Amino acid sequence: MRRPFEGRELLRQLDEIGSKSLPVVALAGAAIGFVLALESRSSLVRFGAQSMLPAALVFSIIHETGPIVTGLVVCGRVGAGLGAELGSMKVTEQIDAIEASGVNPYKYLAFTRIVACILMLPLLTLAADFCGVLFGWIAETLVQPVPFHRFINHGFAGATFSDFLAPTLRTAVFGLIIGTIGCFQGMRTQGGTAGVGLSATSSVVLSSLFVILADVFLVKFILVFFP
Amino acid sequence: MMQPEQGVLVSAEESSAARGLESSGGGNDGPAVVMRGLHQSFGSQVVLDGIDLSVASGETVAVLGRSGTGKSVLLKLIIGLQKPDAGSIQVFGQEITRLSLDAMNEVRKKMGFLFQNAALYDSLTVAQNVAFPLRRHTRMTEAEIGDRVKELLAGVGMERALEKMPSNISGGMQKRVGLARALALEPGILLLDEPTAGLDPITSGEIDELILKLQEEHHTASIVVTHDLQSARTIADRIALLHEGKVRIDGSFEDLEKSEDEFVKEFMKRDS
Repeated sequence: MRRPFEGRELLRQLDEIGSKSLPVVALAGAAIGFVLALESRSSLVRFGAQSMLPAALVFSIIHETGPIVTGLVVCGRVGAGLGAELGSMKVTEQIDAIEASGVNPYKYLAFTRIVACILMLPLLTLAADFCGVLFGWIAETLVQPVPFHRFINHGFAGATFSDFLAPTLRTAVFGLIIGTIGCFQGMRTQGGTAGVGLSATSSVVLSSLFVILADVFLVKFILVFFP
Repeated sequence: MMQPEQGVLVSAEESSAARGLESSGGGNDGPAVVMRGLHQSFGSQVVLDGIDLSVASGETVAVLGRSGTGKSVLLKLIIGLQKPDAGSIQVFGQEITRLSLDAMNEVRKKMGFLFQNAALYDSLTVAQNVAFPLRRHTRMTEAEIGDRVKELLAGVGMERALEKMPSNISGGMQKRVGLARALALEPGILLLDEPTAGLDPITSGEIDELILKLQEEHHTASIVVTHDLQSARTIADRIALLHEGKVRIDGSFEDLEKSEDEFVKEFMKRDS
């Protein structure tokens, strides 16, 4: 790669895609954790296994709920944003202006956004996981008070490093999918403002679909290599 | 009429070496752009049907014609945003129709393009817009870029709008900033797509004066696409009138006035 490395634009996108998605991802993680704890409790109580709740909750959130919820929330927020932003730039000739000034728009616009998505999705997933576990504990404590450290100790008792690593890194693939589809749909926008709307919609629909499909394949893949 | 501050812009020849810029303006005696037999179609619609046109260094040519006659397409072919179906385009003697993307980007540094709606990057401030090509194509420090941006914006009367966002300035101001951005790399060729479209007559006149002033200071070759015959008369050395995909007439404003061609007479009559 040659100069410039578009570091300034990459930082802006890390903030735009990462930091600004944090509140909604954290909220979604918290809600899922809270509801999951309430629902799981009633099932576990039926079998006299309520002591398993912390482990069940942590396992469920870290392995599947946290990654997929983060992926889908980012599909909505960032997928629509990329489709609309780049679509608007396309129809107002801003992408042509970048190209006319001798700069590769794919490197400046698409590369930076895709890299930002790949880097930020795992971090956002960790935030969603944390909020999910925290609000799972709050839901449990409302029914039967339990100290947070004991809840955590029970929850993570059987967990290993690979339990975190593979599912969290899986979301980097979600980031690749969301960034690539959002940029592709945005940069091929045609037909004025109506086209911008279509690009935003198709970015969300396609990236959600491909994130779900990728989740299915990656879960199978991870189970093979990290049984 | 606007009276831009005189002597604010330093000439390209004086300043480019110190800035690490490869100045492409002035000093080149050959033609800046030569187009031969250009054809361009979109589906079954033939837009350009054998265009022959050349622009000498330092010369300003206005391209006129009815809507949809391919005037803007012509500019996009020259800057390489579109590839012609057939024909040749030479920029400073270099054939550009078969260039790779990297080689085309090198040629693009010798050209400045003002888009019809200015096409300023709306996520960047006015100053960042003008600095955009400088950051990518020069070895200037941030301080030097800052000075150069102020200098360019002062040259177009926009020195007070450095930190404004494009959405917070008027259409005429956006055109001025677009002009400053187009001039940032001291290009040898300026391509102006409808520089006065959508502006009131007074602002249009100001933009025309600004273009004239910049041409005097930078000695760039310019191709100006416009609907505005009075604007073309003010800023252009030559006028090329497109009709049915060909150059119907190529000459001075007086040549157009004297022409016996029915379409040219009709065009001049409607505009007057």
